[in-house]
Amino acid sequence: MNIDPILLSVYARTFKAITDEMSISMQQTTRSPILCEAKDFVTGLYDADGRMLEQTENLPILAFSLAPVCKHVRSKFGDDIAPGDVFFHNDVFSLGNQNNDVAVFKPVFFEGRLVAWTAVKGHQADIGGAVAGGYNPNATEVWQEALRIPAVKVIDRGKLRQDVWDLIFANIRFDIVRHDMQAEIGACTIGERRFVELLGKYGRDHFEAHKEALFDATRRMMEAEIGKIPNGRYSGEGRVYYDGRHEGSQFTIRVDIDVEDRKIRFDYSRTDAQTNGFVNGTFTSSASATILTLLQMINPDIPHNEGMIEPVEIVIPEGTILNASYPKATTFGNHLCPPNADAIQRALAPALPDRVTAGWNNLLCSLTTGIDPGKNDKYVDIGFMGLKGGSGAMRGTDGYDHIGMIDASGGLLDQDYEMFEQQTPHLLLRHEYLTDSAGAGEWRGGLGVETLFRIGSDDTQLVTFGDGDFEPAFGLFGGGAGTLNFIRLTYPDGRTVVPRNKDLLTGVPRGTLYHQQAGGGGGYGDPQRRDRAKVREEVRDGVISARAARAAYGLDEG
Amino acid sequence: MGARIGIDVGGTFTDFILTRDGAPALLHKVLSTPADPSIAVVAGLAELAAMVDPAGTATAFAASIETIVHGTTVATNATLTHTGAKSALLTTEGVRDALEMRRGIREEQYNNAYTNVKPLVPRHLRAGVKGRLDRAGREIEPLDLAALDAAIAGFRREGVAAVSVCFMNSYANPAHEQAAAARVRAAMPDAFLTVSSTLLPSIRFYERVSTTALNSYVGPRLNRYVEQLVSRLAAAGFRGTLLIMQSNGGVMSPEVARASPALTLLSGPAGGPGAGLFHAQALGYDRAITTDMGGTSFEASVAVGAPLLVNDGEIARHKIALPMLDIHTIGAGGGSIGWLDAGGMLRMGPQSAGADPGPACYGKGGTLPASTDANLVLGYLDPDYFAGGRMRLSLPAAREAIRTHIAQPMGLPVEDAAAGMFRVVCNNMAQGVREVTIKRGWDPREFPFVAAGGAGPIHACQICNELEIPLQIVPRESSVLCAMGMLLSDLRHDFVRTFVAPLAALDWTRLAALVDEMVAEGDRQLEAERIPAGGRRHAIKLDCRYVKQYHEVGVDVPREAIRAHDAAAIAAGLHREHNRLYGYSLEHEGAPIEIINVRVEVQGAVDKPRRQDEAWCDEDPSAALKGRRDAYVPEDGAFRRVPVYDGHRLRFGQRIAGPAIVEQVTTSIVLTGTWDAIVDRHGSFVLYRKGREDLAAPVVASRPQVATA
Repeated sequence: MNIDPILLSVYARTFKAITDEMSISMQQTTRSPILCEAKDFVTGLYDADGRMLEQTENLPILAFSLAPVCKHVRSKFGDDIAPGDVFFHNDVFSLGNQNNDVAVFKPVFFEGRLVAWTAVKGHQADIGGAVAGGYNPNATEVWQEALRIPAVKVIDRGKLRQDVWDLIFANIRFDIVRHDMQAEIGACTIGERRFVELLGKYGRDHFEAHKEALFDATRRMMEAEIGKIPNGRYSGEGRVYYDGRHEGSQFTIRVDIDVEDRKIRFDYSRTDAQTNGFVNGTFTSSASATILTLLQMINPDIPHNEGMIEPVEIVIPEGTILNASYPKATTFGNHLCPPNADAIQRALAPALPDRVTAGWNNLLCSLTTGIDPGKNDKYVDIGFMGLKGGSGAMRGTDGYDHIGMIDASGGLLDQDYEMFEQQTPHLLLRHEYLTDSAGAGEWRGGLGVETLFRIGSDDTQLVTFGDGDFEPAFGLFGGGAGTLNFIRLTYPDGRTVVPRNKDLLTGVPRGTLYHQQAGGGGGYGDPQRRDRAKVREEVRDGVISARAARAAYGLDEG
Repeated sequence: MGARIGIDVGGTFTDFILTRDGAPALLHKVLSTPADPSIAVVAGLAELAAMVDPAGTATAFAASIETIVHGTTVATNATLTHTGAKSALLTTEGVRDALEMRRGIREEQYNNAYTNVKPLVPRHLRAGVKGRLDRAGREIEPLDLAALDAAIAGFRREGVAAVSVCFMNSYANPAHEQAAAARVRAAMPDAFLTVSSTLLPSIRFYERVSTTALNSYVGPRLNRYVEQLVSRLAAAGFRGTLLIMQSNGGVMSPEVARASPALTLLSGPAGGPGAGLFHAQALGYDRAITTDMGGTSFEASVAVGAPLLVNDGEIARHKIALPMLDIHTIGAGGGSIGWLDAGGMLRMGPQSAGADPGPACYGKGGTLPASTDANLVLGYLDPDYFAGGRMRLSLPAAREAIRTHIAQPMGLPVEDAAAGMFRVVCNNMAQGVREVTIKRGWDPREFPFVAAGGAGPIHACQICNELEIPLQIVPRESSVLCAMGMLLSDLRHDFVRTFVAPLAALDWTRLAALVDEMVAEGDRQLEAERIPAGGRRHAIKLDCRYVKQYHEVGVDVPREAIRAHDAAAIAAGLHREHNRLYGYSLEHEGAPIEIINVRVEVQGAVDKPRRQDEAWCDEDPSAALKGRRDAYVPEDGAFRRVPVYDGHRLRFGQRIAGPAIVEQVTTSIVLTGTWDAIVDRHGSFVLYRKGREDLAAPVVASRPQVATA
């Protein structure tokens, strides 16, 4: 078939419109704030073989495990895939990225033939296991973390398999998870409708031929981008602190990047071995981290389809901290993205000084649950507003203030303050930029934030997970480091508790003061070269103190 | 003689439409005067006066005008160009950065060079003051008046021109904000002041502080402008009623506009959706998709019964939570430039050649291929009859630009490349229409498609082909549709109160009291605007959701249902709307429902212009045939010899068969191969898909009845 180069653009745009529409449907109908407020989900469209056609990646760390799982579902069910089917999947030992990230896949049929898949994957508020919400720092095996859902058919030719459905939701604590999975199915249905309409217009053969041409065009675009990196081997490291079990433990991610003409290969063979705790990655979560970091160094306009991934090879041996072997615990795996990104930025800094950034603030998060005494009802809150620090600066651009960890890149939103006080019993006392948190530089790092609230429930449970409280975001080419993360509780009796970066506290009393700092990003270039007017303006605005302006930037004025 | 004038001030042109009972509408355009837009307004009025009565004086003409409705982009431009007032913010201690943080979003996740938007209030002018209300509005810490006064003194020293007051949980209790406002008024009587609980007493702190700050930011400029306009019009002899177009599609008095300038942030294009609906109603429809394609942008909106609104709009990446028309804008216009991306795929826009140098065919030095260049190559434009012949276009320049930048790199003939540019730009616009239809749960095929703007009717058939829409309307006033719409708009005021309550255990008395309070407030405003009780309408909307959802769905509720404590009617409304928007409801699960906000819309009817009917014409349209030329027919993928008609000579009842081109001074209509058209009694064109003559039946039925013997 002749390829119409014009219709290629039409297809590409329409695919994007479809996944965007699925995303809006998810955001508007889900109940967990993780989904509807923080948009911790991804929507996607895949061809019959599970190759990516387009995605809307609100949280990129989930994004690049959908296509591999789609291929897995396809081969596992083979002939047993029919119109009206719906599949669930979360299993990290069959290419899932994180237990809580539960995917829905729906096959799309046209004129009786399988032509595509729609899929949604979202971070569910609970997925069974030992601890509500899924973060169990004491876990050593997957069963202590979550209910495993290998690819399973929950709707068979339009008929709900009630027994399977009940089995799954009997193992999950919160009702809202059931509603939110319905929302995932609803979004897939919307994508399915639109895709069938599209094929109704152009026909299946036309779509198949143009799809291949689209992959080719995108692959050429990606190859051209990789071609801008000088050939060679580049190596870098990122560090992980504390496995949740052994005080003082520390691990290193090592990447060797080989660029040869139009191909790029990321080899993690020298990375440290897996841990005995839950601080382990899965292949797809680690590969997602690699891809999303690379995507930030190239033309942001590139379409996200299979062609984009083809020139990228990723090698992560099983048994390393980035690719744990069965049946290790892995819930923390998504959060190994920041040190993985650090390793890549450090490696490529000499080759791509215009494209890399200094270090981003790492995530340190807390999750509070309890009973709201005003409503006598359970609440769950993930402290999104508190965890979002600054990004690393790049040449020509300051870091982005309060953007949050690199795996979300500004896709994760704060709770609205008044909705926070409606949905939890807490009283917000402060949520503001943190003075002197940004790494100094000709281009400074993004600012971190400081959060204080008064806990309003008795017997509150608090789970922490994250890092960045030992090593700050690094500076580049003479830029300074950002500041460290911390969380500190002051109980009503005056006692202070600093939880470890992976911890579980129970019985936290009402009236406790919660205090958190998310650090700033690293600076880029010599701070002495920073525009003096900018330094003065930031002193006036109070995001840099006069003392730091003198010490770091050499600004002499009061 | 009942003269009414709609005036739409745009970036390049200020559009006028004059209607008088019993006379055809008069359209006029003058160049805008951005430094003081009221200069162009008064100059245009003088020119209109000369057109109406060359012997009369401008003053006599001005004195004869009953009503002027005015759409302004003063507030919009101040926001887009960051040239608003030096503003300050008084807020609760600890949350002064929310305005700048915008909840921590970076819209372009993979683009590390993408920076945050500059805040409307710089940090050193954002003051946090001690004093706290809890989520129920109870005071848990008194307002620190000394700190407040110190902050205000700082604002005075800094020469602040506008102050916003927005405290945590003020939607539940305005006491602290009112106390702060009183002190600002006393200490800074000349400053423009916005109090969040007065402007927008609804929950969601970021949305409220952003809207409040926007109101202050544009306040002084809009006030100055309205003062200038009022005094210039008075000096010119105008004694009638001046009304200002609002973002919600209604109009308001200058006094209301001056107090709530943020209501004008979408004032410019806000006339369009209502005008589109008006034309669709003439054919018996209650709904319309209205589109407007100019030089740099394409706007699309939907009306169902009335133009649709959103409560979470945005301008220049700042949230605005006042109800505004759901108008989706994309960078697609006559000036949109075609280019090839790194993968070799053809893209159109959003970069625009603008008016200067403009498309290559303008011959003003532009060398990049624009959408207008493609239209010229495709035969849609006559190089000698652009803008009625006032401007000559260069076909060789257009061909050269397309050859160099598109055709050669893609290995295509110039004609195919131009056709590709046309199809891609139409596809972009079709996606824009999907944003306001399919993404909001509406099927575009069920809507008449109204095409406006200079470049709109060239592309409308192809857009409708993509969306499978069978019916289009190109209004006679297509080039000044927004100005026309302003004359059709009623007075309108929107009110909101946050009232978080479970539907199953509702305090109906409190709900009714909130509704009554807002209705009374609306009636007071309409009273001041001299609208009699008989001309007022009130509509109630409850923002509802299933318990533990985060986003609400607006449900229309009759006042009767509230009087009768009819929870079932409210629930049914939520199920219905949720199902329409998101494909399912939780009706059968009996999921509990809660109310978050109560909204009241108050409208006051104003007199509308009466249009004159043309006489029915039975003749075939050959008298209007100007000639034939080669033009690209997208359905055939080839050029055909097509007839070209003079649109100004076509009469009520005459039909044209596509493919054909209809030329008018301000716009051309391209009928592609699968379309036919008929002229309606007001000189508008109704286009229908071939074989769907039934869609034109209302035009034929409006033919004057002739008594038969």
